[in-house]
Amino acid sequence: MLKRVDVNIDGAIIHANKGASVLGTAIEYGICIPHLCHVPYLSDIGACRLCIVEHVVNGRSSVTTSCTLKVEEGMVIMTNTDRIRKLRRNLAELLVAQAPNSRAIQDIALRCGVKEVRYPFRNADCVLCGRCVRVCDEVWKARAIGFVGRGRDRHVDYPFGVKPEFCKKCESCIQLCPMTITPCNGPMKPGEERLCGNCESQLIIADEMVGSCVWCKLGESFACGRYV
Amino acid sequence: MSRLNSFRELEHLREQLREQRQSIATTVMVCGGTGCKASRSQAVVDAVREELTRQGLDMKVRLCVTGCHGFCEQGPVIIIEPGNVFYCHVSPDDVFEIVYQTVANGKAIERLLYTDPISGVTARTMAEVPFYRAQDRQILSQNLNIDPCSIEDYILAGGYSALSKVLRGMTPEGVIKEIVSSGLRGRGGGGFPTGRKWTECWEAPGDEKYVICNADEGDPGAYMDRCVLEGNPHLVMEGMMIGAWAVGARKGYIYVRNEYPLAVKHSRIAVEQARKIGLLGDNILGSSFSFDVDIARGGGAFVCGESTALMASVEGKVGEPRPKDVHTVVDGLYHKPTVLNNVETWANVPSIIMNGSSWFASKGTSGSKGTKILALTGHVKNTGLVEVAMGTPIRTVVYDIGGGANNGNRVKAVQTGGPSGGCLPVDMFDLAVDFDVLYQAGSMVGSGGMVVMDEATCMVDVAKYFLNFLQDESCGKCLPCRLGIDRMLEIITDITEGRGKPEQLDLLQELADTVAQTALCGLGKTAPNPVLSTLRYFRPEYEAHINQKKCPAGVCKALVTYSIEPDKCNGCGVCLRGCVYGAISGSKKQVHVIDAELCQKCGICRSECKFDAVKVA
Repeated sequence: MLKRVDVNIDGAIIHANKGASVLGTAIEYGICIPHLCHVPYLSDIGACRLCIVEHVVNGRSSVTTSCTLKVEEGMVIMTNTDRIRKLRRNLAELLVAQAPNSRAIQDIALRCGVKEVRYPFRNADCVLCGRCVRVCDEVWKARAIGFVGRGRDRHVDYPFGVKPEFCKKCESCIQLCPMTITPCNGPMKPGEERLCGNCESQLIIADEMVGSCVWCKLGESFACGRYV
Repeated sequence: MSRLNSFRELEHLREQLREQRQSIATTVMVCGGTGCKASRSQAVVDAVREELTRQGLDMKVRLCVTGCHGFCEQGPVIIIEPGNVFYCHVSPDDVFEIVYQTVANGKAIERLLYTDPISGVTARTMAEVPFYRAQDRQILSQNLNIDPCSIEDYILAGGYSALSKVLRGMTPEGVIKEIVSSGLRGRGGGGFPTGRKWTECWEAPGDEKYVICNADEGDPGAYMDRCVLEGNPHLVMEGMMIGAWAVGARKGYIYVRNEYPLAVKHSRIAVEQARKIGLLGDNILGSSFSFDVDIARGGGAFVCGESTALMASVEGKVGEPRPKDVHTVVDGLYHKPTVLNNVETWANVPSIIMNGSSWFASKGTSGSKGTKILALTGHVKNTGLVEVAMGTPIRTVVYDIGGGANNGNRVKAVQTGGPSGGCLPVDMFDLAVDFDVLYQAGSMVGSGGMVVMDEATCMVDVAKYFLNFLQDESCGKCLPCRLGIDRMLEIITDITEGRGKPEQLDLLQELADTVAQTALCGLGKTAPNPVLSTLRYFRPEYEAHINQKKCPAGVCKALVTYSIEPDKCNGCGVCLRGCVYGAISGSKKQVHVIDAELCQKCGICRSECKFDAVKVA
């Protein structure tokens, strides 16, 4: 028999499945917490930190990622406080400055309320979310790609840089990559990267309802509550 | 030596060793710690051994190559008992005299004694040396008389009696209670109460539990764990055994970085010796307690000092942290309850058990008990390892023990706690070495690194140095640490190279706050500390870089120009010959000039000039 626990997310008492993550529970009940590295059927590593929430214990709140936090009886979670919104916006700003050429990343930036980017744009091909690495390992048991290097040298690569025979050519890695999920209309040329204005209709919604869920393309592949 | 099967056999062995040593009147203790080894103490050791044999003293005099004595600045260091005679800067050429005069005839050699550069007083014994006098050496003093490769030395010095006491008459609850009431807090950086950690692990369900000793020390300028493990590995192991017995673990690991070859070697020898004598293995000292220790060598990643990354590394996985929503005391190594403590924490355990928690709690402040080993480095006269009671003011450490700045300049700041700590200005030197006090001041005790900086240090440059270090050492897994440090470094580099804008300071502050709150592990959470603390206490320096495009300390190359003061230059030509870029011109006895176009700002002319005529502004 499935055990249930009551958790308080943003004031709503939710009868959650025991063992589920806070993020999974929130999405299931229509509370959209922005996230990037989380994929429902893969393990959670807490890498992108976008799904941060405030977890209140004994009156003291700590910031933690909701994807790695398991629901517990009586837990109090706040997903959308001023503090969280500000932190999340700063994280999304770092992210979009790194990879402005992805519709998914641009959507996240918009969704998190990024209005200006204060860092010089870079045009990275990869944001190291690790979705590809985990799907290859956990779903296909292939481990044909993995993280190589540390810190600024960290990148995704084949073992020793050579495509191995045991790659199953399933292309799951490509399907899950936020850089390939509906790329922007035209790649921004080097030096011309910007915060994309093509999704202005969404920007208006996001402006009016602070913290509301924008129907983002990325949500589709995340199995976001809006798409379920 | 045969296997010890009971507590009485251990005491008997100790008694036997004491009788054997009675014939030895004199002990020559040569420091074999890493600092002294670097000043070639091995040659001194060989020379002493040879000389003792030559003078026919080798049966009466014991030569003991010990671990670090702490006063690394003065190495190689020799101490001779009886008399506690302390010689410093000993070279192999002095050895004949030492053996002939001091060892054989008990006369001190004046020129090898330590003379305090400030008061000019010569110290005859170790206890008289001002560097040692102001300290409270509980752990480091145990390094003195012990050859780290000899379990006999350790047993003779009372070793393993704490273990014997625990196994003979204490319950696990009793041991944990003792540690809780001692107020011992983790010495590795976090300052987490050790007793609470042990309690949680003891309460955690599961038969299989682990204890780990974290010897993956990697802060720039810190080397106390290294010296404790090198100098007294059995002390650390005894602490681990007591901890293992208390929480119910049967297996322990010493995670030591492979760049510490001596620490690896000594801990390996210690484990083998303890196994041979039955202090590791099944039914230790005839009790029901079974425990074994393995050495796990780290590859030298700074992040592997973080508990979850360390455990991943022990398991043979990539050393990356994982979220700690469930603590490692419940879900640690191989997903079993695990107690991970720092070398120094473990080393404190045996004396707490032997002397009681109230003895330990009598030292220190209300929140931080006991003593702390600090690695005093930087622009200070007496560099070395310093052990002081918690609550000692920074001023005492820097001036009374360290002797103040080493180059005539004034001390400007001290950086405590390594890359995770912060910089404190000189007007805050009355702050105590105390976990809570330093944390509130925006720094931390950390593992105990203490880098003293004088006026010729640019604090923006210091922040840049630590960010550079952290960028190299960040594992890159989580976004705020990887990109946040990268962007902070980008901004600070802009500032030091004259491209800084006033609004960047606010951005830097905001970014640093974001990284501190959102990073995955302790490394990322504390990574902004160097930036935050320098912004807090040295903001005018940042502003000078941005607004006036000047580096007040004359360090940031892009913001300074070198020139020669005409009234000080006498045209000696030393700078002209020294300049490798050909940027200095001038004929003999005439004032020389630096060509700003050609000058690469290397600083050679400034250090060569005997008349202080080269000006940096």
